[in-house]
Amino acid sequence: MRNEGWFRDWIGRNGVALATLVALGVLCAPHASAQMPARFYWKTLSGANAVPLIVNSMSGDTNPFDPALTVTPGANFEATLAMAGYARTFTLFDRSAMAAIILPMGRISGEASVASQTFSQPANGFGDLTFELDINVLGPPAQKNLVDALRYEPGFSLDVLVDLVVPVGEYDASQPLNLGQNRWYGRIGAPIVWQLGPWVQGRRTTLEFLPAVWLFGDNDDYVGQTLETDPMYQIDAHLTRDFTERLWGSLDGVWYTGGRASVDGVEGEKLDNLAFGLTLGYQIDDNLGLTVGYKSTVGDSAPDDLRMDGFMVSLVSGWHPLIEGAKRLKSAE
Amino acid sequence: MDSVLHRSTRASVGRAGILNRLLTVMVGFGLAAALVAPAAAEAPRRPNIVIILGDDLGFADMGSFGGEIRTPNLDGLAKDGVRFTNFYTHASCSPTRSMLLSGVDTHLNGLGNMDEWTAPNQRGVPGYEGYLNDRVVTLPQLLKDAGYHTYMVGKWHLGKAPGQIPAARGFERDFSMLDGAGSYWDMTNFTAASPLTVFTEDGRYLTRLPDDYYATKTYTDKLISFIDAHRGDGKPFFAYVAHQAPHDPYHLPKDWRSRHVGEYDQGWDAVRQARLKRQVELGIMPEGTQLAERMWFLPDPVLLAPAPRAVLGKKMELYAGMVENLDFHVGRLIDHLKEIGEYENTIFIVFGDNGAEGNDLFKMIAGAPGTRDFLFAASKWSNTHPNAWGDPGSYVAYGPMWAQVSMTPFSQYKGWLAEGGIRNALVVSGPAVKRPKGSINGGLMHVADIMPTLLEIAGASYPKTVQGRELPALSGKSWGPVLAGAAESPRTAEDVLAWELFGNRAVRRGDWKLRWEYRSFGKGSWELFNVVADPAERRDLAAEHPEKLAEMIALWDDYVRTNHVVLPSRSPFETMEDQLPPRVPDDPGYPPLNQKKQFVPPQEMLAAPKK
Repeated sequence: MRNEGWFRDWIGRNGVALATLVALGVLCAPHASAQMPARFYWKTLSGANAVPLIVNSMSGDTNPFDPALTVTPGANFEATLAMAGYARTFTLFDRSAMAAIILPMGRISGEASVASQTFSQPANGFGDLTFELDINVLGPPAQKNLVDALRYEPGFSLDVLVDLVVPVGEYDASQPLNLGQNRWYGRIGAPIVWQLGPWVQGRRTTLEFLPAVWLFGDNDDYVGQTLETDPMYQIDAHLTRDFTERLWGSLDGVWYTGGRASVDGVEGEKLDNLAFGLTLGYQIDDNLGLTVGYKSTVGDSAPDDLRMDGFMVSLVSGWHPLIEGAKRLKSAE
Repeated sequence: MDSVLHRSTRASVGRAGILNRLLTVMVGFGLAAALVAPAAAEAPRRPNIVIILGDDLGFADMGSFGGEIRTPNLDGLAKDGVRFTNFYTHASCSPTRSMLLSGVDTHLNGLGNMDEWTAPNQRGVPGYEGYLNDRVVTLPQLLKDAGYHTYMVGKWHLGKAPGQIPAARGFERDFSMLDGAGSYWDMTNFTAASPLTVFTEDGRYLTRLPDDYYATKTYTDKLISFIDAHRGDGKPFFAYVAHQAPHDPYHLPKDWRSRHVGEYDQGWDAVRQARLKRQVELGIMPEGTQLAERMWFLPDPVLLAPAPRAVLGKKMELYAGMVENLDFHVGRLIDHLKEIGEYENTIFIVFGDNGAEGNDLFKMIAGAPGTRDFLFAASKWSNTHPNAWGDPGSYVAYGPMWAQVSMTPFSQYKGWLAEGGIRNALVVSGPAVKRPKGSINGGLMHVADIMPTLLEIAGASYPKTVQGRELPALSGKSWGPVLAGAAESPRTAEDVLAWELFGNRAVRRGDWKLRWEYRSFGKGSWELFNVVADPAERRDLAAEHPEKLAEMIALWDDYVRTNHVVLPSRSPFETMEDQLPPRVPDDPGYPPLNQKKQFVPPQEMLAAPKK
């Protein structure tokens, strides 16, 4: 037994702390249905779990609970949006996969004019439930065990992403401002993570893209009218860089186009907007990751332009039963 | 066991006896005469000489010695030449190098102890200077005097002062790392007191390294440039290619790091067994050779979880990459010599300078938290993530388990005097070799033999005095007769080899080896082995053969007197017993507790519980 103890010490000195290799904080979860944060689609050990808590404070001329980002010219909304959810990684056909469920909640206030009527009633409660499935199709195979995790480097990874949003959120048909959207919608995307340089904590750099298309069903009861929205195309881009083993930052950009909304056949403007932002992330420990970000649209002075800015704070708790078990044994020594 | 050595010693001192010795002498003289004839037009050119030294390269690492590591260029030399399986070095770097370059025992040439470990009672004592002292003359000096160009690239480790550097000790051209180790990428060294590695080029201390420096590549580039710069003047050259590789830290270009991913996850026992199997098939080791016991403080890799096995295996992956990268650059040198028409006239001597490294050098030098060396390591050597292994600032060494693999089938490793510390692979090829190409020889060879061998080949002689100072006698014996195929060993059964380093001691004569080592590697008392029958040193025969023990101890005493051995009052191994767990036997399968497989009852007796 003493020999085993000596060797354990030896591994501790000469090997690596495996837990740090599979720190689960990188497993963020969706925070704004319109844009995922940088590093969201990084892969981790299969069987890992995460519970995100994300808080956004946003303002602009669109309802942040509405991923179609329908612009209400002249409006000025203020929203506090929180999201809680659960995500789990797994292996599908030897590829990394992740499934998540997210429930938004919060409150929104402001004035909006629809069909010559002005509404100023605030809304609060729960939003629509989002289901997300992401499967890697190009890049390293799934991290099915610790050995795979040890050897993992993303290189150039490409996923296929499907979101489906179920209209279960609170909805008041008598006003345009709601947390629920009263229609089915979803997204198909292709998250890309491109590793630049070494894959070493403290030195990682990535370029990340998420081209996606949002598809919307109709809202047949939008203040007594029908809201239709064309498909919206979106490209998220992030340049991320580790500053230390725990601290990282990201330059974020997003381009929206399409998504022309029409109310009872009266068409609005299609989107063609850019937003830029910054994100700082900090891995508090093996289980807890914190990000703080700000994002704002640019070139948004015209009344019909999408105008939106917001702060975001996310706290994501991640765990894997194997790692937690190892920690329990170690702490019991 | 009728070992190769046994056969060789019989051949040289057995039935043929005196006649054989006479023949040996005559062939030796003939070889020398043929090679040293004046440079008349019809006389053959003297051969070039290239010594390739792998730093900490293990006995079983090259493919031609049973390794799975791909070393086609080194194996090509073995195929063109002869492999020697009974070749001894010293147990660590600078002592071996001192004997290689002086032909004289370490306790006389200044490396009675490594400079880094000179004991208090050895300070100021002649023979323990920590550098190659000026009471010896060097091989390059004598070869230069004999008309050779003399080049050195790589690790020197025999002194840093102006009078001690390669240019002062006979090398006409050099690009040398004077320290014992350091980064392969830059001048970063290991301790706060000595943070920079010192390099010289042609006798000048370098203020910076060349652009695009990587040790193994740069050393090879430099040597090729030396050869090219002076070729055409008709003089042969002597090149001492003292590669830093594969000494830790395992710094390696990225494209060499991932050529064995997962191959070593099987663990050290399986790789050792596979190497021994190949060694037997190749004829490197005789049928029936046993592996040395797995060091008692190492676990059975089968009991390890996959992840630690993969982490530890990755270290061996890097080591294999180091050796393959070394082989690649040796190949560049060989190709160049072929291109310029010099390969056929070049003698190659290839070996590792001591046993593979199983000690934790980084732990020794990085210090404990709160020390200045720890702070230095935190600043310069803390690139610890496995994906960074090989980069500047990373420090990877593969540990005792893989060192045992590198030294298959022997026991222990660098720093110790078991066979795993001092017995290494040797390849000699080139015009001096008249034995069948690709053959294997078990003659008892020693690194100090290289000096007389090469002097003989170059037509030079070892002087009695230099600048009025009497030189110590050469301790080695020429390999001329062996290379010529006229003898199986340069030694008779009566010849004695002996070692002392860090207080560990050993004597070999004939089949027998006497050994004293610090506990727990040793017993802190004399042990006796028949290393022909038991090369893995599993059975201490001291109690069974008290007469032989006494005879060997007398030889040790004689060695001490003759070479002024001063046993150190301090040793890096003095507290080893306290640091390691108690030594227990290596009994495969013990304890059954965690090795018994799940019991599976007979199918026909399975049943669900009754309600």
